[in-house]
Amino acid sequence: MAASVNDTCKQSVERTSLNPTSFQKKTRNKLLSIPGTRLSVQNGQLLVSTGVTSLDYVLGGGLAVGTVLLIEEDRYDSYTRMILKYFLAEGVVCQHELFIAAAQDHPNDIFQELPDPILDDVVMHKPADQPRLSSEPHGNLDAMKIAWRYQNLPKVQSGLASSSRFGHYYDVSKTMEPEIRQAAKCHHFYLPEHPRQSSATRSPVLDSYAALLKSIEEVIRREGFSVAAPLTKSRNILRIGLHSLGSPLWGDDLCCQDNPKHSHALTTFLYGLRALLRSSLSVAVVTVPSHLIQSRSLRGSITRLCDNAIALESFKGSERETGPLCKDYHGLLHVRQVPHLNCLTSQLPDHKDLAFKLKRKQFSIERLHLPPDLSETVSRVSRADAAGAAALASACDSGNKHLDF
Amino acid sequence: MLISFSICSTMLHDLLQGTDTGGLFIIQDSGSCSGRRLLWSFIKAALNRTEAVHVLSFEVSEDELKDGLKGSPIERLHFHNAYSDPLAWTGSATFTVDQFCVEKVTKLIKQTSQVKTAILAIDSLSWILRHISPSAVCKTLQQLKNGGCVANVIGLLHSDMHSRGTVGSLCHLATSLITVKAVLRGDQAMITKRLKSGKVLQGEEVFTIKDDLTVIGQGKPSRSEPQEQMCISNMADPTANLTFNLRLSESQREAKEKLALPFVFSKEKKAALLHTGSGRIVYEPDANDDYDQEDPDDDLDV
Repeated sequence: MAASVNDTCKQSVERTSLNPTSFQKKTRNKLLSIPGTRLSVQNGQLLVSTGVTSLDYVLGGGLAVGTVLLIEEDRYDSYTRMILKYFLAEGVVCQHELFIAAAQDHPNDIFQELPDPILDDVVMHKPADQPRLSSEPHGNLDAMKIAWRYQNLPKVQSGLASSSRFGHYYDVSKTMEPEIRQAAKCHHFYLPEHPRQSSATRSPVLDSYAALLKSIEEVIRREGFSVAAPLTKSRNILRIGLHSLGSPLWGDDLCCQDNPKHSHALTTFLYGLRALLRSSLSVAVVTVPSHLIQSRSLRGSITRLCDNAIALESFKGSERETGPLCKDYHGLLHVRQVPHLNCLTSQLPDHKDLAFKLKRKQFSIERLHLPPDLSETVSRVSRADAAGAAALASACDSGNKHLDF
Repeated sequence: MLISFSICSTMLHDLLQGTDTGGLFIIQDSGSCSGRRLLWSFIKAALNRTEAVHVLSFEVSEDELKDGLKGSPIERLHFHNAYSDPLAWTGSATFTVDQFCVEKVTKLIKQTSQVKTAILAIDSLSWILRHISPSAVCKTLQQLKNGGCVANVIGLLHSDMHSRGTVGSLCHLATSLITVKAVLRGDQAMITKRLKSGKVLQGEEVFTIKDDLTVIGQGKPSRSEPQEQMCISNMADPTANLTFNLRLSESQREAKEKLALPFVFSKEKKAALLHTGSGRIVYEPDANDDYDQEDPDDDLDV
C-alpha cells in the first residue's frame, strides 16, 4: 500500500513535469513522500488512516495530521481498545513511529496484542467480491416479485467505503508477527513506572498529565517531528495512542466525584496536547471512559477540546442486544464532533445512524437499517406488533390477535 | 459433584472453582441483600483448593469469620485484623486503613505465608473507600492485580453507600463483577466476566447458599416466563377459522405466476425498449419545411 501511494505520487509528479503549460499544481511534495499518508480531497490536509477503512470514511477520508481523535469508550472497553490497536497497527505497517501511553495495562502489552495485517492480495479481491455478492440476490430477484415502481431503485449500500483504498485490513484473531513489530519504533509511557517529580506547586493529578505531556514533547523534539525542525532527514509521522485518559488510575477523580476537585486537569492536558500536535507531524487517538464521568458539562468540554470525537456504544448488556434492529451489529457509533480545519464549515457524515460490527477480518461501520424481512408468514403489521409488545411487555389479550369480521 | 446443577449454574461455579490468575472479583451488594456469605463461599472454595487466603477484615471479627467457615481447612487462612482498631486509635492494630497500599499489603502477605498461590479477600472495600480516595483505591487494586504477589483479589462492595461514579470506576477495573440482589427463590447474581481477549460474558443466576457455604444453583431467573406467554399468544393462528379461502392450491399458484401483471417492467420489455434501433435520427422533410439557410426568417414579412 505504501509503495502504491509512492508510485502514484511519482506518476503525478512526472505528469506535471511533462505538462507543456506553465501551470503547476501546488502540492507539497515533501510531505507527500511520507508513506501511509495522502492529501484530503476536500481541504488538502495531509491525512493518515485510522486503520479502519470505514472509520476513515466517516471522518472524511482519514485523520488529519496534527489533530486529536477522541473515542468515548464503550462500557467494557473492548471495542475502543480494538480501534486503538488498529490505529497503532496501521502505524506499524506504514512504518510510522508510535507513542503508547497507558495507566492500566503496560503499553508493551497493548503493543504485543496488535492485530495481524493482511498484507497479501487476499483483500484485493474484496472489490471483486462485492459484485458477486450483489449478483447473488439478483438471482433471487427473479423469483421474488417486487412492486414495479421499486424495481429500478439502486440497492442500498450499507457498508461505508471510499472509492480508493487507503489503510489496511487486519485479522483480529491473530497477533502481528514479532518481526514486523520489531521493525517499528515505539515509545512507551507507563504511569506507574514513571518517576514522580512531586512538585509542591502543582496538584498530584496535574502531575501525571504534565509528565505525559512532557514525555510526548520530548519525543517530538528529539525525533524531529516538529514542523519547525530543520529538514535533515526524511520526515515521518508519530502516532500517539493514549489509553483510558481520565480514569482513576491516572490519579484523576473525574469519574469518581460528581464535582471533581481537579476538573480542569484533563482539559488542560488536552489543550496542551492539541497545541503541541498542531505544530508537529503527529496524530493522536485518545480514549476516555466518558460513561463514568458524571458531569455532563465536563464531558462536553472534553469533546470540544478534541478535533474529532466519536463514541462507541456497545449493545453488550443492554436490552438491545437481542432486538430485531440490532442483532446484526455489536453496537452504535455516534459521531460527536467533526473537525473544522482551516475553515468554517466541515464535512458532515451523510448518515447519522451508524452501527459497527467486529468480524474476524474486519471492523466495519455501517449504516443502520432494518434487514429485509424474507419470511413469508410475517407480515409488516404483526412484526411491528411483536416489536412493540416486546418493548412494552404490556399485557395484550390474545383475543384481539384473532381476526374478527 | 452433581452434574445436573453444574449445568444450570455454570458461570457462578466456574468463578468459584476459578483457576485463572490475575483476576479482580468484585461482589456488589446492597442493604437488602448481603453478599458476605458469597464472599465466604469464595474463601471456602479457595481453601479447599489448598490455596492460602488472606482476609483484610474491617467489618467482621475473626471469631465470626471462623465460625462461618466451620468445617473447612482453616490452617491456610490468614486473618488480618482491621476490625478491632481500623484507625489505630488504641495503637494495638495489626492493620489499619492507611496501610492499604501495594507495598504494605505485599509485605504483609509475604510475611505471613510462603504458599505460591494466595488469594486476598477484602471485607469490605466500602470501609476503605470511606477513608481513602477512590482513585488511590483503584490504583492499589490494579497494582495488586498485576503485581503477582496474589493470584486473585476478591472484594466486597456495598454499592448503595457510594456515589455512582465511585462504584462505576471500581467496577470498571473488575475482571469479574457479581451483583447480588434478593429475589423470591433466593438470591440472584448478575455476573459480568471480562476475558483477556476483550470479550465480555454475562449471565444471571438464582442461587442459595447452604449452611456449609456451598452454593446451590437454582437456574436462570424466571424473567422469561412472561415472554413465553406472549409467544403463545402470538402463536394463535388468526387464519384458523375463516369464512373465506386464503390458501392457494398448486395449480392455482401456477396460474397466478403465469399472469403478466400490468406495468411490470419485465426484462424482455426493457430490452425491447432499449434496443429498438441504432440510435440514428431520421428526419423526413415535409412541404412546409424551410431549407433556405441564408435567410432563416424568410417566412416573416419583414
